[in-house]
Amino acid sequence: MSRVLLPRTLDELWELWRGHPDLALFAGGTDLLVRRRRGLLDPPVLLCLERVGELAVVEEHEAGLFLGALATLQELLEHPLVRDRLPVLTQALAVLGSPPIRHMGTLGGNLVTASPAGDTLPPLYALGAEVELRSAGGNRRLPVEEFILGPGRTALGPGEILAGVWIRPPDGPVRQHYEKVSLRKALAIAVVSLAAVIELNSLGRVGRARLAWGSLGPTVVRSPRAEEALLGGSLRPSELRAAAEIIREEASPIDDLRATAAYRREVAGNLLLRLARPGAG
Amino acid sequence: MASAPCLSGRPALMKHPGQGRGRTAMERLKHPPSLGTVLARADGPAKVTGAEKYAADHYGPGVLWAGVKRAGTPHARLKALDTGRAADLDGVEAVLTHAQVRGTNRQGVIRKDQPVLVDDKVRHCGDAVALVVARDRQVLAAALERIELELEPLEPVLDPTRALEPDAPLVHEDNPTGNLLLAGELVRGRGREALADCPLVVELDLELARQEHAYLETEAGWAILTPAGALEIVASTQTPFRDRAEVAEALGLKPELVRVIAPYLGGGFGGKDGITVQSLLGLAALACPGRPVKMWWSREESFLAGPKRHPARLHYRLGADRDGRLLALEADLAYDTGPYDHLGGVVMTLGLEHAGGPYHIEHTSLRARAVYTNNPVSGAFRGFGVPQAAAAMEQVMDLLARRLGREPLELRRRNLARPGRRVASGARPECSQGLDECLQRLAGHRFWRGRQAWKARAGPFKRRGVGVAAVMHGLGYGPVVPDVANAKIELTVRGGIRVYSGVADMGQGNASTCLQIAGQVLNQGLEDMELVLPDTERTLPSGSASASRTTFTYGQALIAAAGQLRRRILERAADLLFADSAGELSLLPGRVRHPASGRELPLARLAGLMQDSERVAVGRHRAPVSRERPTDDETLRLHGLPHAVFSFAAQLAAVELDELTGQVELKGFVTVCDCGRLLNRQLAEQQVQGAVAQGLGYALWEDLAVADGRVLTPDLSTYLLPTSLDVPEMDSLWVQTHEPSGPFGLKGVGEVGIDGPLPAVANAVADACGLGPRRFPLTPERVLAGLGRPGEPGGKP
Amino acid sequence: MKLHFTLNGRPVEVEVPSDRRVVDLLREELGLTGTKEGCGQGECGACTILVDGVSRLSCLMLAAQLEGRSLVTIEGLAAGGDLHPVQEAFVEEGAVQCGFCTPGMILAAVDLLGRDPRPGRGDIRQGLSGNLCRCSGYQKVVDAVERAAQGPLPEEKP
Repeated sequence: MSRVLLPRTLDELWELWRGHPDLALFAGGTDLLVRRRRGLLDPPVLLCLERVGELAVVEEHEAGLFLGALATLQELLEHPLVRDRLPVLTQALAVLGSPPIRHMGTLGGNLVTASPAGDTLPPLYALGAEVELRSAGGNRRLPVEEFILGPGRTALGPGEILAGVWIRPPDGPVRQHYEKVSLRKALAIAVVSLAAVIELNSLGRVGRARLAWGSLGPTVVRSPRAEEALLGGSLRPSELRAAAEIIREEASPIDDLRATAAYRREVAGNLLLRLARPGAG
Repeated sequence: MASAPCLSGRPALMKHPGQGRGRTAMERLKHPPSLGTVLARADGPAKVTGAEKYAADHYGPGVLWAGVKRAGTPHARLKALDTGRAADLDGVEAVLTHAQVRGTNRQGVIRKDQPVLVDDKVRHCGDAVALVVARDRQVLAAALERIELELEPLEPVLDPTRALEPDAPLVHEDNPTGNLLLAGELVRGRGREALADCPLVVELDLELARQEHAYLETEAGWAILTPAGALEIVASTQTPFRDRAEVAEALGLKPELVRVIAPYLGGGFGGKDGITVQSLLGLAALACPGRPVKMWWSREESFLAGPKRHPARLHYRLGADRDGRLLALEADLAYDTGPYDHLGGVVMTLGLEHAGGPYHIEHTSLRARAVYTNNPVSGAFRGFGVPQAAAAMEQVMDLLARRLGREPLELRRRNLARPGRRVASGARPECSQGLDECLQRLAGHRFWRGRQAWKARAGPFKRRGVGVAAVMHGLGYGPVVPDVANAKIELTVRGGIRVYSGVADMGQGNASTCLQIAGQVLNQGLEDMELVLPDTERTLPSGSASASRTTFTYGQALIAAAGQLRRRILERAADLLFADSAGELSLLPGRVRHPASGRELPLARLAGLMQDSERVAVGRHRAPVSRERPTDDETLRLHGLPHAVFSFAAQLAAVELDELTGQVELKGFVTVCDCGRLLNRQLAEQQVQGAVAQGLGYALWEDLAVADGRVLTPDLSTYLLPTSLDVPEMDSLWVQTHEPSGPFGLKGVGEVGIDGPLPAVANAVADACGLGPRRFPLTPERVLAGLGRPGEPGGKP
Repeated sequence: MKLHFTLNGRPVEVEVPSDRRVVDLLREELGLTGTKEGCGQGECGACTILVDGVSRLSCLMLAAQLEGRSLVTIEGLAAGGDLHPVQEAFVEEGAVQCGFCTPGMILAAVDLLGRDPRPGRGDIRQGLSGNLCRCSGYQKVVDAVERAAQGPLPEEKP
């Protein structure tokens, strides 16, 4: 039996945390409560973050968009700022879990769970997101790729929570594309996924390409060489095939119940070919 | 708070509630249901309001929870059991082992080889070894943790081929045929020898996965030992009468002291065809007299302990002439039956009978085996051995069609066994046969006619294909085991009609159909009708809810009983109304009328003038059996070979493959079905749509993966059921034949729809890309492996 | 822990351990067995309820989270003896077979229609994609939601 605490503000959170240093945090519970059922953890004190409204905001600032860690996935899916400026994230949210899971799950939860297959992660990497970490003593920011250290491991220090994500949306002409390959169309873990944010220059060529693959390694996989292979080009099939070869060489995915490494490697490359379709993303 | 559960005096009663229904529905209730129309199911209102109580829904003060300690290893000798630490835990009422089982401690339908609690050997990871009864689930879980098993591991048998080698370890040392549960062979003409003379021979090897029923309601129930010494069990079960006999025998009780009640099941599909929780509940209740004991398997436990569809390996060789006439078939079907009989021999036999499908083939060598292993238990699952056979036969037909350059529907029509001719099993079906018309209707469907144009419109990186399958499915138990139902119907004191159903309703709606049939025969509106769900004390033995037989067999018994009640009502009324004969009277909703005089007698009044015994009528029906003898093997005959009555279907799948990922998307599915006359189109559609969805799952997503005897997909996050986004829109079309042996001409529709989807999908995939799938389910990875890299010359065939 | 929340329009006070699963609280302490459990891990949707009008999975909620909330379970949908339009449509369209997924499916549909009163069949399938059904193949469930959507808009439920 565990005690469940439900703070409404960050100040309440810090105070409760001081009183129970070994508590386990959750927001929507769609990950922690499942792991608890499996017997993977049994913390005597649980703290539910879902009422801490100050972290559920979505705001536009000079520095970019701030997506609060406790915004539910559904709130983000419906939010006009996210839909308009970060469609690659919207596409990922639309295929994450299922409607009730989206009503309960949060962006912060998806990040802190740090699953190699986390659906919001490749878009956040491709968007160059930064996470903001807060503690009773202050806050700090980290690029998302420095925050996620491995499966289930993040750079959260003791007494720190993930407060939200900062994203400077790309301006100018840009293709934002996401594709998730899974074994069925809902309630499915990604077998391999690709997020692509491709900024076009004034000639309509690729000025900047950020590619991020999910379920291809212990954390989201980037490939500067594959990105470079696309620069200055126009996403022709031959260019995309060249980039595909690069990622296939570089990637070392695993075999698991859902797919083999060989399949993941093959498809990771193939997904780039989808960028050739007009209007993709 | 929920009231204390009480079994006696609380019949599982389903009324047609007048309240809470929409106006149109209310109006329909007043009129006798006409057959063939759409009639909303009677169990709908209670289910949509959450009022219907399933076996898992009974709680109350004083209810104890029972749970099982399972072996966790596939094959081992049980050396010792230490239950002391568990028994010491506060809140534990009892810890039970085989030592407390007074009866045979053996369960099973054909071969009784499954213990209630393990006494000698553990034979699969889910084997039940000890039973704990505790005051709540927390204590129960803690107590189960504390039980220690001393197991001496034995080499497990994990593969049906290895299992038959002379030096393989034995799952049942006392089985005279070693690890072979049953084998059967059907030979016609020159058998496989004839293949040598065939101008064309195509060959196929298939490997089919284990499929999990995954009913939304897992195995559940509760039980109590009454002060009078009767054991009352409420369970989610398809077989309450057979359960009573099995529980009594296993636990050493007199059957008449065991009562089993089957409320509506939250799904069954064969997984609850037999003992699941019943004996365990009985044992627990015996240990805690007077206390209600409840058991509800977690999803993980259901995966571990419940039966699955038999995984199978099939080898087929089909020979034909250049005109596409089938000449010879060699088929070998190997079913991995797991550690216990669990109807495995009957499954194998039905697969054997259907191995060559609905075709006329002069020379056949058909062989099948059901083999014991230490893998999870295989047992009854909708389709019951036929999906495996149809998977092979319908794919090998398409292989032949491609080799010959013949159109697949036309090849099938050409080779159908016409009425009066033998199908590949060597027996003649003795029933209405509309398969040819089904195939013709399918050929006329827009998906088939427009397929070339549709395929040509596939977008970038997409390939489209259309595939078909033709199937037949035998109803009932075969020629030896009596396929009997007993119906009871009553004119209540208030003048209403009460039907006592003997067959469990696991969602297929036979309860509603009962009322519809009774209403039809008695010309009464459903408003005044009630149904009592199966209860060994109140309703009559009617066999299992399985084998597509519930309405087919029970419906006939009910027609007989209702007819008898009708005669009695009219005869008594004739006496009371001074009519010369019952023939002068009309039975109308709520009353009897004498048209000549205009006199009427309300049924309530008539009922008041009758004694209890006069108001009840009983009817019995035994389904007809085949007179054919394709084999003299009496064991095969006992196991069901051959059947007499078959339903038929022609099915079509339209798929779109993605060349980049190998994902298969279903764009449409069509079933044209001959299940005799439709009593209620909506119900028949429900059955076909549900069966098709499960068949599609079998084809594309569902794989209960096992390695070293252990389940690798232990829950719904790893075992993938298709969601609403995965199952396509489905067209259901009907060829209504009239089957004289069925109620109002009906044939069973529960299973036939599940037999064709896998081969139809496989054939569609082959049509899209030339790939001949051999291992199922057809995961994206398996498809991609066959496609090769996009934009480069083709992949492997 | 003492909890106060609104359930099917009426205030409720219960005393339960704060980590009691909401599905157990509803079914056992409150006797409302209409909410079902099919998997306990959020993969099937049978335990779906509405919390402040939004569909959530009660097997993944702990009692403490209910404080001050307004819950609707399947038992609370029919107002004064008349079925809710979605319930009525499920009955009429044959969307109910074994019925075990039905309560969760209906509440998921109510949530969907609250967001999108006139969804197309694809939107309906999307909206129900968190609810598994093993009996129906979903077709008549989609038919039912489509029919309910075409009727008068469902009223606001407390």
